[in-house]
Amino acid sequence: MHELSICQSMLEIVDGAMADHPGARLERVFVDVGRGSTVEPSLLRDAFEIATTGGPYEGAELVINEIPLVGKCRSCGRSFEYKEIALGCPDCESTSVEIESGLELNVRELEIDG
Amino acid sequence: MSKVDIGKKMLSENDRLAAENRVRFAEAGLLVLNLISSPGSGKTALLESTLDRLPDGVRVLVIEGDVSTDRDIERVRAHGADGVQINTAGGCHLSAKMVGKVLPDLNLDGADVLFVENVGNLICPSTYDLGEDAKVVLLSTTEGDDKPMKYPAIFHESSVAVINKIDLLPHLTYDIERAEREIGVLNADCDILRVSALKGTGMDEWIAWILRKMKEKRGE
Repeated sequence: MHELSICQSMLEIVDGAMADHPGARLERVFVDVGRGSTVEPSLLRDAFEIATTGGPYEGAELVINEIPLVGKCRSCGRSFEYKEIALGCPDCESTSVEIESGLELNVRELEIDG
Repeated sequence: MSKVDIGKKMLSENDRLAAENRVRFAEAGLLVLNLISSPGSGKTALLESTLDRLPDGVRVLVIEGDVSTDRDIERVRAHGADGVQINTAGGCHLSAKMVGKVLPDLNLDGADVLFVENVGNLICPSTYDLGEDAKVVLLSTTEGDDKPMKYPAIFHESSVAVINKIDLLPHLTYDIERAEREIGVLNADCDILRVSALKGTGMDEWIAWILRKMKEKRGE
């Protein structure tokens, strides 16, 4: 359960950006969370609500773009999504795969009023 | 309503502090290993056994991370390591900031290897770079053999997986080949070692792995 500390890091980035827009109100925060990133979106949403309640960002919405965990087979080159426990490439069954995406934890953009 | 482009990693501040730590470690020519496992896999026992077996003249530092108590740092000090204890007071992982803060308490110059024993947890520590050269994930045969697929991120991030408590295999249903196969699927470049920190089995290979990494770090 490190979503609260991830959320704090995220809000420090938001603070930095909002400092350039004095008087503006934060409406939405758009983030990318990879399915293999170890961050649980529902817990991150809870953490965001807890962390923003009573402060200048109260009422702002956290919009999470979940990115699937995608592997690429090193043998046949095919890309595939890890949906459940996978034991390798579904085509050629090679177990030599690399992860192409799904480890992201990014703050993409903010939507502000004012 | 207007948009403000950010395009930053959430942990960019942690990554910046980890890079600062990495510079400090490089100046000292120090190999830094971030040791991660669930509670009770034997991280501290592995360190004790490692301290007893490293060749004379190899100077070891340890940073111990625990929610509370300084029991672990006392244990490794009894085996000849210098080090400091970090208590996270509820935190489930160490961060680059916590590690950077205790570096002035350690005499890095002249040391060869720094082990950072993270808080017992297979999830959160995998996300936080501390400035280490390599992550070491420790498993034990008394846990499930399906740990790699249940906690894939840490296996994807680690340079070596050490499977501990292999002396207990005859009494357990742990399928070690399955665990090794699944680690290979998650990270084909991950070295895998079988050890018993308690009995000493496989410890020679683990010590050789550390010495090889020390040489690589010094550019030999």
